[in-house]
Amino acid sequence: MGFSVSGSAAIIFVAAFIGFGMFYTATANSFERVTNAREASADQALEEANTGIRLDSVVYNSTADSLNVTATNTGSTSLEVSEVDVLANNEYLTGYRTAVEGDTATDLWLPAERLVVNATGITTDPGRVKVVTGPGVSEIDTTTEVS
Amino acid sequence: MASVSVSHLIIFIASMMIAASVAGVFTESVGRLSNAVSDQGLDVSGEVRTDVEIISDSGSSAVYDSEGDGNITLHVKNTGSQDLAADPGQIDLFVDGTFVSDFGVTLLADGASWRPGTVVRVEISQPGLSAGDHRVKLIVNGDEEVFEFRV
Repeated sequence: MGFSVSGSAAIIFVAAFIGFGMFYTATANSFERVTNAREASADQALEEANTGIRLDSVVYNSTADSLNVTATNTGSTSLEVSEVDVLANNEYLTGYRTAVEGDTATDLWLPAERLVVNATGITTDPGRVKVVTGPGVSEIDTTTEVS
Repeated sequence: MASVSVSHLIIFIASMMIAASVAGVFTESVGRLSNAVSDQGLDVSGEVRTDVEIISDSGSSAVYDSEGDGNITLHVKNTGSQDLAADPGQIDLFVDGTFVSDFGVTLLADGASWRPGTVVRVEISQPGLSAGDHRVKLIVNGDEEVFEFRV
């Protein structure tokens, strides 16, 4: 009788130990994953709150069929030029040239710097241009037509 | 006396078998529960990391193509921190409260997945949309966005 009780208790104890180990690993991993996600989300919310841009000029040149947009980073976060999107009358523009303070190679658009976007091959005046930054902060302005 | 030893042996074997089966059921149940907790953690972290923004110009007259094929064109930017799939299965859409399944998703960037910072174009087929105010609700992985425009 004595061996039966202690043997069964040992088996149940080992099973409980294994079970607790599995459950602890799963809950700790999940908790850590969700905590990391919340931290990333809070970081992004802060970045978005610190982001601001201003459209200085939006000029459509009807002779050259080109659109020139000048924007200033008025926030305190550094933005990426490759993550900036330009919509001309809700049409997503691609293949345009960019320059930050005259530098066409850089991908960084730092606070207080000016970004110039030059899109060509636009045959009609789009009327409205929207510039969207990486964190999702955007600005809209109407075009000024020159020839 | 031999009969007592045999009885003890039988009781010992029986108790071992019962304990082993209880232990087996217990560990299997805890294993399933752990998998469920793990999956739930993955889902919740995915939902927290997902953030999209409709970047279309709501004031533009080109949002709805009333003279052409009757499409609502939206541009949606991934502003979260995780890759999403650029296919209609990832997105749920409601136009004026009605669930819509007829729409196309085009990735406007290189690569196969909808990475953070990239944009997809969503074209919703809604021929014959009446003049007036309309709203589109877009749900991606639990993140809801509403876009209002005028025809």
